[in-house]
Amino acid sequence: MTEHPPTEPTAPDAAAATTPEPDATTLAYSGRIPPHTQMAEHARRFGWWYYAETYLRGMRAYAVPITFYAIGQPLLYLVAMGIGLAALVSGGVGTVDDVDYLTFVAPALLVSTVVMSVSGEMTYPVMSGFKWQRLYYGPAASPVSPGQIAVGHFTAVAIRFTLQSLVFWAVMQAFGASTQVLTSMLLVPIGVLSAMAFGALLQAYAATVKDEGFQFAFVQRFVVMPMFLFAGTFFPLTVMPLYLQWIGWISPVWHGTQLARVASYGAEVEPWLMAVHLVFLLACIVGGLLAGVRVYRRRLGA
Amino acid sequence: MPAGLASLSSGNVRAVLERGFTVIRNQNWMILVSGFFEPVFYLLAMGVGMGMLVGQVEGPGGAPITYAAYIAPALLATSAMNGAIYDSTWNVFFKLRFAKLYQAMLQTSLGPLDVALGEIFMALFRGFIYALGFLGVLAAMGLVTSWWALAMVPVAVLIAFGFAALGMAVTSYLTSFQQMDLINFLMLPMFLFSATLYPITVYPEAVQWLVMAMPLWHGVELMRQLSVGHLTGATLVHVGYFLGMTVVGLWLTTVRLRALFLR
Repeated sequence: MTEHPPTEPTAPDAAAATTPEPDATTLAYSGRIPPHTQMAEHARRFGWWYYAETYLRGMRAYAVPITFYAIGQPLLYLVAMGIGLAALVSGGVGTVDDVDYLTFVAPALLVSTVVMSVSGEMTYPVMSGFKWQRLYYGPAASPVSPGQIAVGHFTAVAIRFTLQSLVFWAVMQAFGASTQVLTSMLLVPIGVLSAMAFGALLQAYAATVKDEGFQFAFVQRFVVMPMFLFAGTFFPLTVMPLYLQWIGWISPVWHGTQLARVASYGAEVEPWLMAVHLVFLLACIVGGLLAGVRVYRRRLGA
Repeated sequence: MPAGLASLSSGNVRAVLERGFTVIRNQNWMILVSGFFEPVFYLLAMGVGMGMLVGQVEGPGGAPITYAAYIAPALLATSAMNGAIYDSTWNVFFKLRFAKLYQAMLQTSLGPLDVALGEIFMALFRGFIYALGFLGVLAAMGLVTSWWALAMVPVAVLIAFGFAALGMAVTSYLTSFQQMDLINFLMLPMFLFSATLYPITVYPEAVQWLVMAMPLWHGVELMRQLSVGHLTGATLVHVGYFLGMTVVGLWLTTVRLRALFLR
């Protein structure tokens, strides 16, 4: 391959001298873009992150509503539930779980509002990637694999909700709603973990939906809403009759909430049960992602 | 018909309704019916679960009532609002800006008032169905104690009328999806703070006045009074609020539709 002496002298400009690859294309000689083989290799390795970046940049289109939600939601819920509803609780049973109601409800509100918001990013946007805007097909035609697109979408959403959990945590601290300020910082990863446990499963499901019908409205009404209401957010799960408690057991919100309460005010949860909560959430994420990757691969034809 | 009204209406609201019912029958009756479950879930979760923590609360007229009985009428008022708002904002926005449905309708002999009344009636129909179903649930759970509770159905329709009329008028000003989010920013706090889940006396007085200026609070109070049959002069004020809201909303919607399409 070295018997092409003319090739090197035909690119005598300065850029060529700094280009590490002697067999680069003309474009690469400009020094601004790496050679396509190298780019393809990058995409094969970091495609998931490239897609995540694209998706995050797309979020700028609705950055204002996102910011409003991120700040407004914790404020509204903490005032309404933690202070308003708390007035009724203190007139009733007084304290819950040995702490005042605001302290009891705040970590659960963080988890459940973040889990609820994730459904916005994992339903119509997923369908849109396949059907309306067909945003998935461009990357899928490049060395970025369908599985990486699924993981990229997931990653971008996880990043958004990391920030959202962080804001919620900060507002909580402003309300003085944690008794253990230091360990309560764990609420941020716990919130993200719970949100993505549900998000991964929802993403895998949304990817299988082919026609816009009632599916997502039903998910909202019969999965997301009950999860918010029946997963021990506003009251301990155990005060509910047994025939309603199972909704909590199978929902990521309850498992996340249990962990969040331990981190926020040291709720007494047995260590083996905490392990169960953690394993449940991780299993949802792994299972959801594996299923999601499979569906994306099938649907994007690779 | 007065001459002024002739340019606004051809008196054929029925055509708009017929289309509305055809759409429900063919496309979205499942979504419509499932909306009924939302207040029922809230009632179960908050009434049963939260009720354990709260115990009895002070009802209208000072008589103690269970927490479930306290929030049930508020949830009915909220569901009337939600149904009406969704129908008259998202639905209308889509038809106005994307499907160009009203443009098509107004090319015919239909006038803007026909279109406005027809759309609003569809929102009311939805509110009526939900109210009827929810009242059945309340009765089955033993949460109504007065025959006045029967009036909750027409009152739910009145509440829905107020919100639908005004919602449609506001929607006519909006041009992008991002602006539609404004409606959510108003509805969530209104739901959380309008004495739905706890009395407004927990707030400072200035905040109380603000809440009392909001329409949902009047709806909640009205429903709560009816559920136990405790009617006072304030009842009339609440009814009056929604009548006023309806008239203003209808007038504004008609004017806006005329401005948008007839220029």
